[in-house]
Amino acid sequence: MIIEKPVPAFWDWIGPASLNWLIAVGGLLAVFAVVGFLFLLVRTGPAQVFPIFFRNIAKGFKDLCDLSWKRVFAIAGLIIRESLRKKVIVVCVVFLVLLMFASWFLDPQSTDPARLYMSFVISTTMYLVLLLALFLSALSLPADFKNKTIYTIVTKPVRASEIVLGRIVGLTAIGTGILLIMACMSYLFVSASLSHTHVVIDGEDIVAVSGEGTDATVVAKGETRLANWHKHEIEEYADGTFTVKEVNNHTHPITKVVEGDTVRYVVGPERGTVQAKVPIYGKMKFRDANEFEKTRGINVGEEWEYRSYIAGATPEAVIWTFDHVTPNQFPEGLPVEMTISVFRTHKGNIEQTIMGSLLIRNPKTGLTAETNIFNSEKYVTNALFIPRTIDKGKVDSQPRQLKQLGEETSFDLSQTRLEEKETYDLFDDFVVDGKVEIWLQCLDNGQYFGAAEPDLYVRAKDANVFGNFLKGYLGIWQQMVVLLSFGVLFSTFLSGPVAMVTTFGILIAAFCKQLFLQVAYMQALGGGPVEAFNRLIRHENLMTELPKDFTTSLIKFFDMIASGFLSVIGLAVPSFSDYNIYMDSVAAGYNIPWNTICVHGVTTFAYVIPLFIVGYLILRNREVAK
Amino acid sequence: MGTETKIVVETKNLTKIYRDFWGRQKVRALKALDLEIRQGEVFGLLGPNGSGKTTTIKLLLGLLFPTSGEVNILGRPASDVGKNEKIGYLPEESYLYRFLNAEETLDFYGRLFNMPGAVRRQRVAQLISMVGLESAKKRQLREYSKGMTRRIGLAQALINDPDLILLDEPTSGLDPIGTRNMKDLILELKAQGKTVLMSSHLLADVQDVCDRIGILYQGELKELGRVEDLLKIGEETEFRVKGLSADAKAKIEKIVQEDKSELVFSGNPTTSLEDLFLNIIAESEARPGKRVRGGGTNI
Repeated sequence: MIIEKPVPAFWDWIGPASLNWLIAVGGLLAVFAVVGFLFLLVRTGPAQVFPIFFRNIAKGFKDLCDLSWKRVFAIAGLIIRESLRKKVIVVCVVFLVLLMFASWFLDPQSTDPARLYMSFVISTTMYLVLLLALFLSALSLPADFKNKTIYTIVTKPVRASEIVLGRIVGLTAIGTGILLIMACMSYLFVSASLSHTHVVIDGEDIVAVSGEGTDATVVAKGETRLANWHKHEIEEYADGTFTVKEVNNHTHPITKVVEGDTVRYVVGPERGTVQAKVPIYGKMKFRDANEFEKTRGINVGEEWEYRSYIAGATPEAVIWTFDHVTPNQFPEGLPVEMTISVFRTHKGNIEQTIMGSLLIRNPKTGLTAETNIFNSEKYVTNALFIPRTIDKGKVDSQPRQLKQLGEETSFDLSQTRLEEKETYDLFDDFVVDGKVEIWLQCLDNGQYFGAAEPDLYVRAKDANVFGNFLKGYLGIWQQMVVLLSFGVLFSTFLSGPVAMVTTFGILIAAFCKQLFLQVAYMQALGGGPVEAFNRLIRHENLMTELPKDFTTSLIKFFDMIASGFLSVIGLAVPSFSDYNIYMDSVAAGYNIPWNTICVHGVTTFAYVIPLFIVGYLILRNREVAK
Repeated sequence: MGTETKIVVETKNLTKIYRDFWGRQKVRALKALDLEIRQGEVFGLLGPNGSGKTTTIKLLLGLLFPTSGEVNILGRPASDVGKNEKIGYLPEESYLYRFLNAEETLDFYGRLFNMPGAVRRQRVAQLISMVGLESAKKRQLREYSKGMTRRIGLAQALINDPDLILLDEPTSGLDPIGTRNMKDLILELKAQGKTVLMSSHLLADVQDVCDRIGILYQGELKELGRVEDLLKIGEETEFRVKGLSADAKAKIEKIVQEDKSELVFSGNPTTSLEDLFLNIIAESEARPGKRVRGGGTNI
């Protein structure tokens, strides 16, 4: 799975992130305080402004401290009831209809149906739920103002903070309920769509082949009948076991039932279609041709710099260092999965894949064993296994060097004598304090392997598939909560339609935050918004240089002002593309780590808290009956 | 009304100017209102449409912010949310959630007062019975007639057993029986020692239930005093005679005392509130500006 922007470790991230958050929220509140002060100054005059200002601040703090959760939940309950009685549940019916007709536009011959179906259900849910959150949050409070029902609320001992928070809590609850319903519908849909079995008829689909000998001898061969647009090749062994070739990322168990003269083959349900792999990622570095450690490999001229390359038939290697590898977790050995890029500098035999090797190395002694030789195709996942016991034939007699710049001699292991054994144990001989290195080398001369850090991982025991599916929906939930908090904030001072459009603007900006910032920083082709508009109406190419005249200077000046404004907005909006990792992980069959959920969960509340406070301040200072 | 009773509502120089988006003055809705309402009295704010009655109530409740002047309700400023613990408010139209039924409505407002569940349930049942909506308590308010909506609106205003009740046009939309019930209820609240401030342009309603009234016109308080004092015509004497003979009628002005008939009443005649109100409006239109108040006693 491609992870261009890895989620930082929670405990490393939380400190600096909290500090940044405090500075941002402090700045925001300071802006509010200054605006409020100036407003009061104009309204009350310099003599009275200070006592009134500080009294207001004290009252604001008191209001927040005196917040009654009972009242918050009463308002939340009202919002839930309102949403239910206004038939908000219809969105689930819309979703059901979409699922019913999904087969019309989902490719039935996909080679990765799980990814296709998962992506479909999660993205559809996400768009529906976000739109629902947008409508409900932006229209709820303005409707109260329009119908004047707010009069009967604010004339009760209800604080503005309770109105804002009650709305956020209520809308979150209704959104959560709808999301859960959709999650269950989605899971049932995906399970039902992927569930299938095949028919195998003796003598027609599978026929005996000549061969006698060991249990491992193939005695019958064939393939299953077509189901879900695919077949599986099957082989029956003398010992009664079967191998079923993996197609579309799954296989099936087969049993042979003999009843008198009749032989039946019973094919079980698919296995491995939907997974929740738990990858343990290592830290990646490179070794160059001179055996020096590097942070990057070779650039083969690809514009996308996600992967870095090593040359074949050289000492170059990609090295992953894994921590906390224990025999308790991996008693049999290390299952490793790898999806790398292959770059050919000459065609060679195009039918033939490029050879590579996987080595395991003790990071302290340099003891290295070449455990796996494999053939690799570009972006094809290889599942390899590093066994617990390694024969001496695979172990290098000399330690492998990994020099660091300026420290060649101190790290020179070439004279180190290693203990010679008949067999080596993975954990006793290669793992030091839970730490081990896995090296990837390309064996074909003139060809290259490219890798990024997440391209190779040790695969731990799989997580629960449904649990992981729900975690994927947690990502949608987090986006929903942020968006509806924005909606509630805007609804405290804007009319319903305007609040809706503004929240929609935030949604678009959140999805395209990077592009938005590029435009804000004037790094996008075609300049800032004014310049881009000018080019648009004048049909000018993005690359054309503008004439050096007064008009251009004026355009640049307005772009500079717009840039400052857009930068603030761009930095303030959340980045919803960061949440893609949830959908990508579930669709690709990877477990979503709790670290990711914690980081994004804290980020969600880091948005909700200031949005709630600002919403409260605005509503508190708004004349309800105006 | 004795001066020793507690002041429940107090406004000093209360002024409200509505402005447009650019801060330009649109309308001066209330001009320097000084008012005191004491505990236990029923006070009526009278005035034609647009005179500032509703603005005054909204300022008292904190729904609007005063342009200048002060408001104190139950000893607290209008901006203090805590004052609402002991206030009940019936808006001029019942602005309630139409997707709720009567029980849910009252339960919701009860929750806003943090009332314990058992107390809330008891209070809801009591109020629904009081406003006569037992048979319709499970129906959503969207199905209610205007009179029924008004009644449930009144019930929500009383959910917290308030000390001060502000009623904006309480009898609007009610039929004669509903109006009579509303007036009886106001008198009952007064009997319980509650303070009631009501605004209305229905003069008979005000005359029937209010102890004191204030008449607003174009944002200014034109008259303030006890109803009976304001309606008294000082320079005239009224005789109410029962079973008077035909002969006596001719001599009645000279010899009422010599006649064998029963003297039922002797005192000052009163005008109707309607006449008083129309006179003040006519006078105010003829002579704009502050009016010299007469006839009433400003407590």
